[in-house]
Amino acid sequence: MIDERKLEILTESAKYDVSCSSSGSRRANKKGGLGNASVGGICHSFTPDGRCISLLKILMSNECIYDCEYCPNRRSADVPRARLTPEEICELVINFYKRNYIEGLFLSSAVFDSPDKTMELLCETVVKLRKLYNFNGYIHLKGIPHADGALVMRAAKLADRMSYNIELPSEKSLKLLAPQKSRQSLLLPMKSLKDAMDYDRINKVKRGRVLPAGQTTQMIIGASPESDGQILKLTEALYRQMNLKRVYFSSYIPVVKSDKLPAVGAGLLREHRLYQADWLIRFYGFDVDEICGEGENLSPDYDPKCAWALRNMNLFPVEINTAPLAALLRVPGIGAKSAYKICEARKFGPLDFDNLAKMRIVLKRAKHFITCKGKFYGSESLAQVKTALMIEGAQERAEQLNMFSDYSTSLSVLTGEI
Amino acid sequence: MKIFITDGGSESFFTAVFDAYREPECVITSCEDVQISFGCEIVRVSADEEKSARVRRGIENCDREGVRDILLVLRSGDSLKEMIAFDYIKRLMESKSPISKAYNTPEVIIFNELKQKVTGEVHKMTGFLRFMESESGAFYAPYSPDHDITELLMPHFAKRFREEKFVIHDTRRKLAGIYDGSDWVLGYAGEAEIYLSEYEKTFQTLWKKYYKAVNIKERPHDKQMRGYMPARYWKFLPEKSAD
Repeated sequence: MIDERKLEILTESAKYDVSCSSSGSRRANKKGGLGNASVGGICHSFTPDGRCISLLKILMSNECIYDCEYCPNRRSADVPRARLTPEEICELVINFYKRNYIEGLFLSSAVFDSPDKTMELLCETVVKLRKLYNFNGYIHLKGIPHADGALVMRAAKLADRMSYNIELPSEKSLKLLAPQKSRQSLLLPMKSLKDAMDYDRINKVKRGRVLPAGQTTQMIIGASPESDGQILKLTEALYRQMNLKRVYFSSYIPVVKSDKLPAVGAGLLREHRLYQADWLIRFYGFDVDEICGEGENLSPDYDPKCAWALRNMNLFPVEINTAPLAALLRVPGIGAKSAYKICEARKFGPLDFDNLAKMRIVLKRAKHFITCKGKFYGSESLAQVKTALMIEGAQERAEQLNMFSDYSTSLSVLTGEI
Repeated sequence: MKIFITDGGSESFFTAVFDAYREPECVITSCEDVQISFGCEIVRVSADEEKSARVRRGIENCDREGVRDILLVLRSGDSLKEMIAFDYIKRLMESKSPISKAYNTPEVIIFNELKQKVTGEVHKMTGFLRFMESESGAFYAPYSPDHDITELLMPHFAKRFREEKFVIHDTRRKLAGIYDGSDWVLGYAGEAEIYLSEYEKTFQTLWKKYYKAVNIKERPHDKQMRGYMPARYWKFLPEKSAD
């Protein structure tokens, strides 16, 4: 039976990883097996910080041979260390799963002994779960840079999702802050996994597909000098070239004292704005160039869609009853769901402002950019619109800050694993 | 005004719809303690196979998914569910084609909201239901959902746990779904007495430790937690109960 204290140490070390999603896989249960995957993902609990628990998120070990500047588990840090065996992890996963506490396992590790040795034990855990315990629930596995490609591929055939964290938005910053990792050691395995997934797709492989829920990555924002424009360009490239499912951002918090790291944190507003921009790229048909120039940063005052609209007022207002879906998606304040509802509802008859309100579509921002049956309900001058949106934005920010009121007192850095 | 009182079952509801359809003003309800005012006429409706089938056919002719949607709404714990479904059926018959996406029609808005509450709770419970291992090795999950959803949860867990025997017990409606490792049935279940397995407490404790350790306590956001996981569900969650 697993030791309580070990579980605590290895959970504490893993909890700053942003990703918790259990979605994207349709893995079915088998005869004699336990578990399956739910394509939309399932949240099993919520912690007092408002985050969801879906997977059992732990490190196999926090004993690290690397000394990454920003990491609480770096070799030179004085923290309690622990290590679990594959068997201990399996027992915990199976018993938590049977009680419906979790959707599966998110397994990561610090690099102990050597990258190959670490990857080998991570791989062994996954093999045991799938083959010995016949476990068909969700498994997300972290890739270990510099580990043997054959080991990685063996794990990828059994896991639902893998992720290599690219850590920092540029090669230069990576060299400075995580000198033992190179961009190549992160991008090459990502690329081989992508190729393996492409192969399965092209050859219509049905059984035992590599990573049915794809790959994700994560990077730290604000520990290094890159602009939002650069970060978003990189993000877009990762989506297009590596076919990633998600790129996660985590804002830098100054906990580890180092003259290579800034003394102040990036702030959660910046992280929030980057996520908003990320959604515009993935679901709203925007290109990065429309949202943010290469050397620029996103506006703190408005969300990126608002900021874009204010620069392109000649395209507005759009008529709710005739505008195509693509145009509705570009209206500030109208989300994908609302845009879809409008398109469906207007087939049954023209919509006026009241109808939209009854459909629970939020019009505080949108009213400045739309007409309903030709009528305009927003402010007339650009200055008024800007003021109104600025006040909106300030309220939103106040909530954000409130949400993370004490983050500056945080004792740990954002990312607890490699 | 006529008040049609059903027995709570769907056949009885569809029969009531048949009888009430041409009434200028009427109420359909399964609530026994309905407020009766002067001049009201009570009609008790028992299921009539033929009438019920005709209503179902009528609905299906307008919208192939209509009956399924209505059955979902009838599972709601809302006391107005029969009236909301009845108004929806009348609208549907008028339009003669699907109206579920007429998002600006009042009858559709309220009907969809109720349906969403039922399916939403099903989804939530696929996550929030907690099983405990009994001495015999079977797993037992008591809960008290807002809506009558046990039947909708059974297929999910039967697929997932496949070889495990388990019971999902709605303690409010005194209803249990029982899976024996190959098939499941629904049945009445009052109080249950459970003897826990040797390791049950150990895993509950480990789970509580995990829950505590994975939280970032420097970033409290109680409101969001309660929004996603309402306090009324906590009673059955080991991680939210005191030691």
